[in-house]
Amino acid sequence: MNHLIQIKNLGKTFKDFWYRPVIEAVKDLNLTIQQGEVFGLLGPNGSGKSTTLKMLLGLLRPTRGTIELFEGLRPEDVAVKARLGYLPEVSHLHEFLTPRETLMYYAALFGLPQVDAKRRTKELLQMVGLESVADRAVGRFSKGMARRVGLAQALINAPELLILDEPTSGLDPIGCREVKDLVRLLAKSGVTVLMTSHLLADVEDVCDRVAIMNKGERCAYGSTRDLLRNPDMVRFSVSGLTAEVAAEIRLQLEQRAARPVQQDFPEMSLEAYFLKVVSPDANNTAFKVAPFLEKKQ
Amino acid sequence: MKTIRKIFGIFLLALRASLRTKTVFALLLLMVTSVFLLPAVVKGDGTPQGDCHILVLYTLGFSFALLCLSTLWAACALFAAEIDNQLIQLSAVKPVCAFEFWLGRWFALLLLNAIALFAVYSAVYLQLRWKQRQPGWRESVQLVNRSVVHPLLPTPQEEAQEAYELLAKQKELPQGLSKAQILRVLTTKAQERYTIVNPGESISWRFQLPRPIATNELITIRLRFDTEYSTRTQVTGVCRIASDVLDAPMVEVPLDDFSLQEIEFDLSCQAFHLKHDLSGINLFFTHTGNPAKASALMLRFRKDVVVLTQGGSFEANLLRSALVHWSVLALLAAFGLTLSACFSLPVAVFSSTILLLLVMIGTSVTEVVSVEEEKEWLKKPGILVSRGVSAIAHHALRIDPLESVINGERIEDQAVGEALAWNVLLSPACFAFLGILILRRRELASGD
Repeated sequence: MNHLIQIKNLGKTFKDFWYRPVIEAVKDLNLTIQQGEVFGLLGPNGSGKSTTLKMLLGLLRPTRGTIELFEGLRPEDVAVKARLGYLPEVSHLHEFLTPRETLMYYAALFGLPQVDAKRRTKELLQMVGLESVADRAVGRFSKGMARRVGLAQALINAPELLILDEPTSGLDPIGCREVKDLVRLLAKSGVTVLMTSHLLADVEDVCDRVAIMNKGERCAYGSTRDLLRNPDMVRFSVSGLTAEVAAEIRLQLEQRAARPVQQDFPEMSLEAYFLKVVSPDANNTAFKVAPFLEKKQ
Repeated sequence: MKTIRKIFGIFLLALRASLRTKTVFALLLLMVTSVFLLPAVVKGDGTPQGDCHILVLYTLGFSFALLCLSTLWAACALFAAEIDNQLIQLSAVKPVCAFEFWLGRWFALLLLNAIALFAVYSAVYLQLRWKQRQPGWRESVQLVNRSVVHPLLPTPQEEAQEAYELLAKQKELPQGLSKAQILRVLTTKAQERYTIVNPGESISWRFQLPRPIATNELITIRLRFDTEYSTRTQVTGVCRIASDVLDAPMVEVPLDDFSLQEIEFDLSCQAFHLKHDLSGINLFFTHTGNPAKASALMLRFRKDVVVLTQGGSFEANLLRSALVHWSVLALLAAFGLTLSACFSLPVAVFSSTILLLLVMIGTSVTEVVSVEEEKEWLKKPGILVSRGVSAIAHHALRIDPLESVINGERIEDQAVGEALAWNVLLSPACFAFLGILILRRRELASGD
């Protein structure tokens, strides 16, 4: 697999007005992200996740180390910027623009012809469910709606690399689910996704690999499945057993394993239960990927 | 093509940002007030000329000053506010070069200024035309546009060089000053030099007309003068005018009303009895006042003695004036944008305002500096900064278009061209280079 992002010994130290080092936000970070994977960057507040993303985007300059994107390009290169999409933690949209104008503006920044820009804008607005409010100023939107506009602008260029900083922040559970579904769909179509999140369940649901950061350092790094797997434990899930049969099997297992066996009744997650109650047909209302993004598939 | 689309996108955003804020409405209100209320509120001297003066100089001048400030501050906000609010992050991660960001915003300010100037100039022009229909105005106020011809004289720089060489020859050069400093003082003196005409004395000038004047055309002679202690004394004189043809007959015009310290009279070219077009004239002035009573006349001959010829329509001159003003606004926009790329919004606005003040008072500061003060190390940096700012501002504000419009003097194409070249091309290019360099180097985000 090709390395889409390669970070070597990356460090960032913030300085004060007198150029004295104040905070070492990122320390000696090494990461490699492969093409087509969904990578999660986790960590508590102030752990250096967003600083790392901003260095990847060329918004901040590393104090030490190197970043290579798309095999040998630097974050500041215009060629890199043409191939990536970015959703910041706070959407930072121009409040006086409508969603349509916002998307048309960002389409213009990619140099898209007017016809293409209009078509993509329409498709993206449909995708994020904002077509009915496409001509209302973004300043009047709720945080969740603004987030949807932010997500749409990140996809206007059909990016090869999508960088999402807390993509589900401010969204309701349905919105979260839709975003996660979209990330999965985009990943299937070959888009590499790098995301950060506080919500570990979100990351667990969609990420192939994760890195956990704390105080600017990488603490854990690897495939989500490998990291979360408890090597000593085995779980069987069987439906339709009576209590007597279950007790019998448990007894046999205890005898065979020579240690106590824990028995439980699997519960659905609160998110799944919420979606079942609020939106029973959630599967049907999920984001329909914009046709121009599908074409890429 | 992609670059044009990107610049157009940024241009459109800057336009929307400007038009969808309350500040624009406040500015509009102020402009309307200045254009329609100011002429009604400010009291003139009661003459139509005075009203015309207020309408052109005060109204247009005040509106232009308003536009200068608003352009400067809007330009200061365009980058700085976006960086401060982190709005720029989403744009900065798109494939847009710093020069595209800079140009898009600058073009938006150029267009907004063009629209605002067009509106203000149109409103003033319509008021002038409407007032011209009123009795008294038509006879006394002429909305004209005349080419100004100055007498053939060595330039102030040539005169200063000559004076310097003379001083050097006589070994009377001031000690402790460089050649450049001495030449600067001498040039300023040459520009403002007076010729004193005592009663009974005569003085003459030669004028080369920029184009041949047909025999059926009118030329205007204008003399402005000062008297000793600026007293408005009645002084009499005679003007004799002849074409530059050898042994040409003289036209004599007696002058006896100098109470306004300015005299202007029209002369038909037929008076010269020429068989061909007029290409140049010789002007002789004799002070015929009583030597015992009359004051001497003081003429700044580089400015005060002119021949005026037909130069085109008043509207064309007004348009030229608007172009010159627009060019100054373009320069301010470029300057503000560069400051905006360097500093946060409060710092950019503060420094731009300070520099604007320095431009306004810089000339006065540098003019009154004595040779001794110039040597003091504590004052030297301040003087150097004031001189630098004044020198740059001098190029940008070389002509005062409103003064020309009110005097009915044609703003020459060359002057407009120079203003456009300096203010819309050369200086903005330098500012853009600096701004782009800083934008490329600057970190556009903060940490977590």
